[in-house]
Amino acid sequence: MSELKELAVHLVELARSEGAKDVVAQAVQADTQQVRFSNSQIDAVNGWSERHVILFVAIGKHVISSDLRSPDNYDELAKRLVVQAKKAPENEGYGGIASGRFKYKAARIDKAIVSLKDPSKQAHEAIHAAESEGANNVGGTLFVRHQRFGIASSVGALAIDESASVDLSVRAFSQPEASGHALSCTPRLSKLRPKETGAKAGRLAVMAKNPAQGDQGRSDFISEPLFIGGLINSTSNMMSAFQVDIGMSMFAKKIGKRVASEEVTIVDDPVSDSTSRRAFDHEGVPCRRNTVIKDGILKTYLHNTSTAKRFKTKTTANAGPLIPTAFTTAGQPLPFHPVVVPGDWKVEEMIADTKRGLYANNTWYTRYQNYSTGEFSTIPRDAILRIENGEIVGAVKNIRISDNMMNLWKSVDAISKSSEEVFWWDEATPPSTLPTARFRGLNVTRSS
Amino acid sequence: MLDEDVAEATLGAIESKETVLLAEVRLEERNMRGLAVKSSQVNSLSSLEDSGMNVRVVLPTGIGFASSNRVSRVEGARLAKQAVRLAKGGKRESTVALSSEQPVRTSWAVSQKRSLIDVTTEDKLAFLRELDSLVVKTDVKVQGRYYELIDYEIGGFFANSEGSRIRSFIPRVVIGASNMVSSKGELAMSLREWGACGGWENVEEWDLGRVLPAEVRMLKNQIDHGRMLKPGVYDLVCGSEVTGIAAHESCGHPMEADRILGREMSQAGKSFVSQDMIGKKIGSKYATVIDDPTVPGTYGYYLYDQEGVKARPRHLYKDGLINEFLQNRETASRMNLKSNGSSRSEYYLREPIARMANTFVAPGDFQEDELIGSVKDGVLMRSFTEWNIDDKRYNQKYVSREAYFVKDGELAGPAKKCTLEITTPGFWGAIDAVSKKVVFDAAECGKGDPMQGMAVCTGGPMLRLRSVTLK
Repeated sequence: MSELKELAVHLVELARSEGAKDVVAQAVQADTQQVRFSNSQIDAVNGWSERHVILFVAIGKHVISSDLRSPDNYDELAKRLVVQAKKAPENEGYGGIASGRFKYKAARIDKAIVSLKDPSKQAHEAIHAAESEGANNVGGTLFVRHQRFGIASSVGALAIDESASVDLSVRAFSQPEASGHALSCTPRLSKLRPKETGAKAGRLAVMAKNPAQGDQGRSDFISEPLFIGGLINSTSNMMSAFQVDIGMSMFAKKIGKRVASEEVTIVDDPVSDSTSRRAFDHEGVPCRRNTVIKDGILKTYLHNTSTAKRFKTKTTANAGPLIPTAFTTAGQPLPFHPVVVPGDWKVEEMIADTKRGLYANNTWYTRYQNYSTGEFSTIPRDAILRIENGEIVGAVKNIRISDNMMNLWKSVDAISKSSEEVFWWDEATPPSTLPTARFRGLNVTRSS
Repeated sequence: MLDEDVAEATLGAIESKETVLLAEVRLEERNMRGLAVKSSQVNSLSSLEDSGMNVRVVLPTGIGFASSNRVSRVEGARLAKQAVRLAKGGKRESTVALSSEQPVRTSWAVSQKRSLIDVTTEDKLAFLRELDSLVVKTDVKVQGRYYELIDYEIGGFFANSEGSRIRSFIPRVVIGASNMVSSKGELAMSLREWGACGGWENVEEWDLGRVLPAEVRMLKNQIDHGRMLKPGVYDLVCGSEVTGIAAHESCGHPMEADRILGREMSQAGKSFVSQDMIGKKIGSKYATVIDDPTVPGTYGYYLYDQEGVKARPRHLYKDGLINEFLQNRETASRMNLKSNGSSRSEYYLREPIARMANTFVAPGDFQEDELIGSVKDGVLMRSFTEWNIDDKRYNQKYVSREAYFVKDGELAGPAKKCTLEITTPGFWGAIDAVSKKVVFDAAECGKGDPMQGMAVCTGGPMLRLRSVTLK
């Protein structure tokens, strides 16, 4: 892995020798395998291998970045980027990159994941387990991921990092409109639970049979971690100082104010063992655990060096990729691993304590009228189970939650002791560790 | 320049004891430039030069796809071996099959009047700053002004074991604009996108120097003078933007054959449409929705798909009936049909899957003012903000960004946050008039796992829907 660090150091020195002042180079080797399955059999097995370097160059406030993706041509591309930087217009908001003598925690990855060559066995186990619980149609994905990084900067960053993880998603159907969804995401192969995950999806699919039309009006929701993962996606993104700065966050001007019920504490924790553990952010600053919401009070935004300077604070080590990606700009502060801190309820106690409400397995397509005010809607999917007098008595379908996201977090009155890691497709992302929670009186709508 | 010999050598390196039904090799190179401006200041500047390749192997028992950002004979041989190994991992019980298609040897390219590569960063920055300045000059308080311009060229070479050899070149340019308008303590959001295949001439045609100031003035007018609608049953006139999103979400997506067959079941979901519903009624006789990759200049334009099949218009809904699904070779084979050229991938690291291109409602006979003039008590919803649809594509919601009351055929002031929450047959069944003029909007369609953002257009004319519930 030191070759990636050496490559990063080499490109930083080369860019400096060509006239660049601030330089960050991050060399990446990413290898991914994916098993895709539907209708209870494997559709395709895909593999991706990427080796590239994200190079960031600044000369004063003349800033540019590039993703160098031609391994035979790195030096020439780096030199060309410095030339482009000299001609680049000034980026007035550029506040530099973090400098210092950084200390990094070494990673310990599971070698069994790296050496796993045929993950189709685990996919078949999940399918069979779902079917054994009563499902008749099972789909999903199993990802095997291995990434290695070397980073260097002109002002002190110098480190390597490595991650390996597996994430399994299983959606099982018992009827065309009755399904259940379950996940198993882990950086340890021995903790992957294909049978249990398939079985849970299958059980939920059976519980969701014969759904009735859902009712409009206010309803309590007991929501599984997967469901909350769909909400954490946009919620945690709005914690980014960049989103606040461009008027796209309901958290603007809310530091020190109540943004959730006192039950809710949300932390961004990229340093604990998880599928998105990382040693450093994309400026090379050692990652740390940041408490963003404490007992319902907003404590901080997520920062890189430039946004921290603008907000007169310090970086939280959340600099995102220094090259723009889909829907994010270069360096935009991002959450890496949101955690909703567990409470003291058992899930069964929550259900028993709910007179009338819904137990929700999953949600998707969360969209906003207005990010700055938080009006949104989301569509619960998979098992939506009706609770009456503390017991699950049936299933419903065709509902939508149309409410305000801050009001949703303020409505939380119970959080489970148990939590689990969730990471699913484009919805429950970034990887996060979440409990089950009860939301009170959410507004339910449906098609007329 | 992509080396065709690498593709030939890679095809030659594919070896399997099982029958190889099909082998494909795709080489690709992309050059991309990005510039973002926040409140007139440069926020980010980036460039990308990328090349890579992929190999897809179809065996009777599985499909394997291997890809890498290295292009060479050695890498091709490695990917060939990996793709065969991955395909063998499928161990399917039902046999994989592909539709039979004619091999194609051709080359196609999108021309540019003013080449994107010739537009300097300085010119682009001046252009975005001019837009920002024009928005500022409106005197509307716009708290967040964030404008992004991305342009790129994609060169490709496709070869398969059946003899197809296709070289392609697509330049694209896209602008995103985010504006957050405040007035009287209220906020209104606008996120818009313009995109095209071709050169800088497209950017000039978008007339953003007029469109963006008009957009923020409109949002202020909605805040200052908008009234809430009393929920009830009204006639609704949908502007082209609303027509387009409905065409995309409640026609295009449910008509993707892979979704109908369940391949996306654990991600974007299945479809309320089943294989046996061809010819079944879905709407009124005015409900005709076309997906056409061959409209010149459009953001979703292409002439051959990524399985080498010639593109053509697909009439998804026709005269109110379910008519034709979006097919790739695998889905077409399972339905005993031919592919209609719908296989696309975002870039070389992603597998090709069935996708939309430019999805729009076919034009009708009415003038726009005739549609509005015939409404006694209703709403004109020109555009939307929040929207979503369930994963079987049956229950959808659109909330207005720009809407007006219509009284006795005349516009009667802005209507705030009108909400249409309706089923798919409910929407398409309520149409009783369609205007003549089709307008396209660029969009990024999300599908696949990992998510593949795909350049598409949504579009259509104005539609008149009778007696729908608005909230």
